[in-house]
Amino acid sequence: AMAGAAAARLRAEIRRRERELRGLRERLRPSWLLGFPAELPPLPARSALSAAEILRYSRQLVLPDSVLVVGCGGLGCPWRSTWRRPAWAAWGWWITTWWRRATAAAGAARRGARGRPKARSAAARCGGFNSAVQYVPYRGALGPRSALRLVRQYDIVADCSDNVPTRYLVSDACVLAGKPLVSGSALRLEGQLVVYNYRGGPCYRCLFPEPPPPDTVTNCADGGVLGVVTGIIGCMQALEVLKIASGMGSSFHQYMLMFDALEGRFRNIKLRPKKADCAVCGDSPSITCLQDYEAFCGSSATDKCRTLQLLPSKDRISVERYKELLDERVPHVLLDVRPQVEVDICRLEHAVHIPLRKLEEKDEEYLQYLQKRIREEKQRTDEQTSFPVYVICKLGNDSQKAVKILQELPVKEFGSVLAKDIKGGLMAWATKIDSTFPQY
Amino acid sequence: MVSVLYFARSAELAGLRCENPLGPRQKSALQLWRRSVKLAVIRDQVVFAVRQEYVLLGDQLLLLQPGDEVAIIPPISGG
Ligand SMILES: [Zn+2]
Repeated sequence: AMAGAAAARLRAEIRRRERELRGLRERLRPSWLLGFPAELPPLPARSALSAAEILRYSRQLVLPDSVLVVGCGGLGCPWRSTWRRPAWAAWGWWITTWWRRATAAAGAARRGARGRPKARSAAARCGGFNSAVQYVPYRGALGPRSALRLVRQYDIVADCSDNVPTRYLVSDACVLAGKPLVSGSALRLEGQLVVYNYRGGPCYRCLFPEPPPPDTVTNCADGGVLGVVTGIIGCMQALEVLKIASGMGSSFHQYMLMFDALEGRFRNIKLRPKKADCAVCGDSPSITCLQDYEAFCGSSATDKCRTLQLLPSKDRISVERYKELLDERVPHVLLDVRPQVEVDICRLEHAVHIPLRKLEEKDEEYLQYLQKRIREEKQRTDEQTSFPVYVICKLGNDSQKAVKILQELPVKEFGSVLAKDIKGGLMAWATKIDSTFPQY
Repeated sequence: MVSVLYFARSAELAGLRCENPLGPRQKSALQLWRRSVKLAVIRDQVVFAVRQEYVLLGDQLLLLQPGDEVAIIPPISGG
């Protein structure tokens, strides 16, 4: 009987060791997980901490805490250096999602070949810094189906994403899962930081119940962000996560931190508490499961350089068609509506340049200039039909807005003008027609 | 003098970053908001703050003192 009991004990011990081994293997495996697995790899048992590790962390963070970092562009980047030599080290996870089409707005610290999954390289470098922190990279676009499952597996969520649908998605998921959301964002020379769904503070929807109309969202074509600005906000996000994880708490559920790099000023804006009639965190919420956020916002998460559809197809032409028109020497005016800085980088020689902003403002001087150029070109034709004006920009969004403005110009002064935009803009021109044209 | 500060998208829409409206010291939040008609499209997407404090966009009257700062803050989503 004693031998039987000993055997049972040994078998239990073997099972325990096997579990531990599986956990360790999981840690050593090039932890490149496709998609969003249902469960996290197990955390190593506390007893697996070496004496040195205990010494290192005992005065720092005692409790294991896990952090989900959504997005690893400019905001996600600084986490690496923040966790490298932690004055505070979280015993936990550093997770990122990877966007299939993360483009433009390169952060100051981003490296790696184009198209290489950023989460993997980010996690690999983090892993090298601090072996007691486990990093699990995720690849894929976070969607309504994966988000809630993923968020539930973590204690704190950091939103480092770069688009509107993901911000609503992550916020709603955090409310439904009851997790604090440390949300950072940056554009051009401004940055914002708020901790949502934390200690009675508002959620994202409490402050911004409706998404902005898609064509009022500044896209990467005319947006862009300075890597230093995302770096500053990203570091502050990491700091707030550590404060929440350690129990110190954060005050940014009551205040929005605004960083104005131009003015060199931080502002703390006192926020409202959560809204009693909020659609998701209110007293009787109407949103009880995650929705289709791309439909809700009218834009796509994976394509932050959204392609707008403002015009019917009869008002648009392809770059190939425009090339044919050029070759056939069809009289027309090509109008480039990009900002001056971009025109300085590259332009089509024969284009007339008027920034979209000037058209929107109906700037007299510019409109007269356009009128003059149309009249000059028109003299080369004896036809009385509508004179074609083709509008181009970087990606084909602003050009559509410009066409709409041109369509409303008074016929009396401009004569009959047939305005069309060139689909895909100069970047389509560069890829499909002229490979020597710079892509920027 | 009261300053109205426009941030992010609101600065683009209004075409300026800061202005100093004149007129009565008592104004409602909505009156201040309607200074720029171009902002109507982002009405449900802003934090409206007076003296660095969130204020509901409504008819309630605000007594503005010289030096007060009114801020119109749309969310930014980049990163
Ligand atoms: Zn809410």
